[in-house]
Amino acid sequence: MEPEVIKVELVLPTHMSFKRIQIYEKYPKGQSKVRWKQLKQILQAENYHNYPPDEANYVNIESPPSMHPCKKICDITGFEAPYHDPRTNLRYANADVFKLVRSLPNEHVQRYLALRKAAVVLK
Amino acid sequence: MPFISKIQRQTDYDLFPSSTPIVIDNGASYFRIGWAGENEPRVVFRNIVQRPRHKATGETVTIVGDHDPALLRYFDCTRSGPRSAFDSNVVFQFEIMEYILDFAFDRLGANGSRIDHPVLITECVCNPVQSRSKMAELLFETYGVPSVAFGVDAAFSYKYNQQHGICDKDGLAICPGFTTTHVIPFVDGEPVYKGCCRTNIGGYHVTDHLKQLLSLKYPHHMARFTWEKVEDLKMEHCYVALDYALEAQLFQKGGKEAEDKSRCWQLPWVPPPMEEPPSEEEIARKAAIRERQGQRLREMAEAKRSSRINELENQLHGLEFLLQQLEQVQQEEIQSFLSETGYVSKQEIESTLMKVSQSLRKAKGEPKAEQAENEEKADSSTSEKYPLVNVPDNVLTPEQLKEKKRQVFLKTTTEGRQRAKQKRFEEELEREKKNQQDEERRLENPELYLDQMHSKYKELYEKVEQRKRLKTNGGHANGNNLSGGVGRGERLNAAQRERMRLLTTAAFDRGKGEDTFGAKDEDWQLYKLMSKDNDDDDDGADVDEAELARVCARLQEIDPTFVPKPELTAAQPATAEAPRARPLTKEDFQIVLGVERFRCPEILFHPNLVGIDQAGFDEMTGVSIRRLPSKDGALEDRLTSSVFMTGGCCLFPGISERLEAGIRMLRPCGSPIKVVRALDPVRDAWRGASVYAANLQFPQQTFSRADYYEKGEDWLRRYQLRYTL
Repeated sequence: MEPEVIKVELVLPTHMSFKRIQIYEKYPKGQSKVRWKQLKQILQAENYHNYPPDEANYVNIESPPSMHPCKKICDITGFEAPYHDPRTNLRYANADVFKLVRSLPNEHVQRYLALRKAAVVLK
Repeated sequence: MPFISKIQRQTDYDLFPSSTPIVIDNGASYFRIGWAGENEPRVVFRNIVQRPRHKATGETVTIVGDHDPALLRYFDCTRSGPRSAFDSNVVFQFEIMEYILDFAFDRLGANGSRIDHPVLITECVCNPVQSRSKMAELLFETYGVPSVAFGVDAAFSYKYNQQHGICDKDGLAICPGFTTTHVIPFVDGEPVYKGCCRTNIGGYHVTDHLKQLLSLKYPHHMARFTWEKVEDLKMEHCYVALDYALEAQLFQKGGKEAEDKSRCWQLPWVPPPMEEPPSEEEIARKAAIRERQGQRLREMAEAKRSSRINELENQLHGLEFLLQQLEQVQQEEIQSFLSETGYVSKQEIESTLMKVSQSLRKAKGEPKAEQAENEEKADSSTSEKYPLVNVPDNVLTPEQLKEKKRQVFLKTTTEGRQRAKQKRFEEELEREKKNQQDEERRLENPELYLDQMHSKYKELYEKVEQRKRLKTNGGHANGNNLSGGVGRGERLNAAQRERMRLLTTAAFDRGKGEDTFGAKDEDWQLYKLMSKDNDDDDDGADVDEAELARVCARLQEIDPTFVPKPELTAAQPATAEAPRARPLTKEDFQIVLGVERFRCPEILFHPNLVGIDQAGFDEMTGVSIRRLPSKDGALEDRLTSSVFMTGGCCLFPGISERLEAGIRMLRPCGSPIKVVRALDPVRDAWRGASVYAANLQFPQQTFSRADYYEKGEDWLRRYQLRYTL
C-alpha cells in the first residue's frame, strides 16, 4: 500500500478488537454471498395484512396519489407545455422546442422520457 | 461542499464511562456518531461503502465513506461503485452496515473487547421489524453492545427544536430526507404515526434529476457532472419558486430578470492555439519532398519496365531460335525434340511467340491502335483463325476436338467483346446526339432550357434517392424514424419483403384444402417472383442514374452556379457535424443553470414530474391532518400554526414561503399557519438524539440483549420510544 493511503487509513482493517465476531468469519471469502432481501421482499414477509389496519406500518403510511391535476411541463425546457408530440411522446412548449425534439436522437428522447418514467422499458 | 466529513480518529474513547451512550444518526446519506450530551457528532461521513481492488497488490479492500478522490487513483473502482446499506430508507444490506459500523466505532476510538456503551440509533418511521431486529442482532452479537434504543431522526429534531422554542408541543414535522419525505404530526410532544405519511421522494431525486437534465442539455460535458459536483450545484444554486408557472414564464420571455436569475458555471477552457499559415519556405520544402518522392517512384517504375522488356525479349529470342531449330529437324524427330522443350506442337510455340511479342509491344508502349488493328485483322480472318469451328465433330480426332473446343470458346469471347464495343459506340453516339439536341434547344432559349434542366435534375435526383431509400430502408422513408423500434420488417427492403410475403403465403396456402397448384400455367409465375434475383425495377434505376449523371454533367457545363447535391447518406452526418467544425469557444464550456434552478426542487411539490404518483409536500400536510384519528378543529389549527421543517432539502431558499402558500390553499380561510425551519436542518436530528440519550430517564427506553431474545418479535415490532422524558 502507498504511504499516503496508509497515513489516512483509507482502507478499513479487517480485524477489529472490539468485535466478537470478525467480518471475515461471518462472510468467509469464496462462500456464496448472502442474498439480502430487498425492501419489497421484506415488506411482503412482514405480513401487514395480519394486523389491524388502524395500526401504522411501513406500507400504510405511504402518501396517496396526488389530487392535483398533473402539471404538464416541457420535457426539454421546463416551461409550461401545451403541446404533446405523438411521435416521441415528449411534451414541448413551442415551435422552436418542437424542432429540437424532432432532431433529437432516439436515445435522448428515451432518456427524457425516463426522467418522468414514461420511457419504453424492454424487459 | 457544505457537508464535510469528519473522520479523524478520536483519542478520548477511554475517558467515557460505560454508562455514556453512543448516539448514531444512521441517515441514508450521512452517518453521524458521537457521545450523548455533546453538541456535535464526533465522526461524520457519507453512508457508503466501496470495495475496489488495490491496483498494486490486486486485493479487494473496503473503503467506507467519502475520501479525497485523489487517493482513489491507487484503486480500481471500475467494477464496484459506491454501495449503500439502504433500500429506500430501510437498512437491508447488513454486510455493508457492518463495514460502516466497524469504521464508525473504529474512528470513535473504540478499543477493548467490545462496545461497552448503550447505543441510540435512528431508523425510519415504522421500520419493518425484520430490519430492526437484524440491526439489534448485529449490535448485540457482533459488537457486544449492552443495550439499544431505536428512534426516529425527525422526531429527535422536532424535540430538540421544541426545547429551543422553535416549535410547539403540537405541530407537524415535515422531514424531507435523502430518498423519502415524511410528515409526522406531533400531539403533546409525541409523534402520532397513525397520522404520518411518506412520499418516496427526497434529496436524492432532486440531485439525480438535475444531473440527468444537465447531462442531456450538455452531452459533451457529461463526464463533468459527477454526483458530488451536481450535489454542490444543487445546494448552491437551486431554489423553490413561489409559483412555478410564473417563474417559468419569466424565463420563457427572457429579458434581464431571467438573465439575472441564471447562473453560469465556466468549465476550464483554454483557447486553442492559433494556427499559423505555413511559411513560403515550408511550402517549398514540402513540394521538394513530394517531387523527390515522385521522382523515385518514376524511376522504380522505369526500372521495372525495362527489366520486363528485357525478359520478354530474351524469351522471344529463345522461341525464335527454337522455331529455327525446329525447321531443321526431321519430321519424324519432331516429337522427341519437342518433348525436351516442354511444348506439345509447333502451333503452341507459335502462339506463345505471338503472345510474347504482343506483351512486349505493350510493355514498350507502342501505340494501341496497332494492337487494335491487329485485332481487326484477326477478326477479318476469323475463318482462318478458327478453322475447326465449322468442321463437324465426327471427322475430327480427339486432339482436334479439344482444339475445336478451345477455338469455339475463343471465338465466342471475341465476338462478345466485339458486341460490347459496338454497344458502347452506339451509346456514345446516342449521348452525342442527345447533347447535340440539347445544345440546339439551349441556343434557342437559354434561360428556359436552364430551368428545364434544373427541374429535370431535381426530378431525377428525387426519383433515384427515393429508390435508394426504398432499397435500404423499406417503406419508412420519413428520415426521422424516432419512436418506432427497429423491427424485422423494417430491415428488409421492399423487394425482399414482398418475397418473404410470397413465400409465407405460398407455404400457408398449400397446406390446407385441395391442392390445385399447377392447374393453371400462371401458377408457375410465382416461382419467378420468388426467385432471389428478381428485381425488376433495377433496369429502370440504371437508366435513371445514367440520365441523372448526364444531366448533372451538362448542368455543370453550362451553369457555373450549379452544385450537385451530395448523396443523401452523406448529407446527414454533414449537417450533424457542422457545428463541430467551427472552433470551440468559451461559451461552449459554460454550463448555464436557468430553469433547472427551480425545476429540480419543484419535484418535491409535484412528484408527478418524475413519475412518482404521490402527494407532494404541501398536499402531504393535508393528508396527514386527515389521517389523525380525532377530528378536532382546534387541534388542527394548533398543528398548522407549528409546521416544522427539518432535513437537508428544506435548505432550499423559498421553500417555507411555498409550503405556507400550499398549506393555506388546503386549510379553511383564516386558519393560523406558521412554517418554521429547524435551527440546523441537517444536524438537529443528531443533536436531539444526543440530548435525549443524555437524559437520566434514557436507560428505561432501551432494551438489552436478554430483552431482545425473551420478548420476541411481536414486542420488537411494537417497540416505540417515548420522546418526552
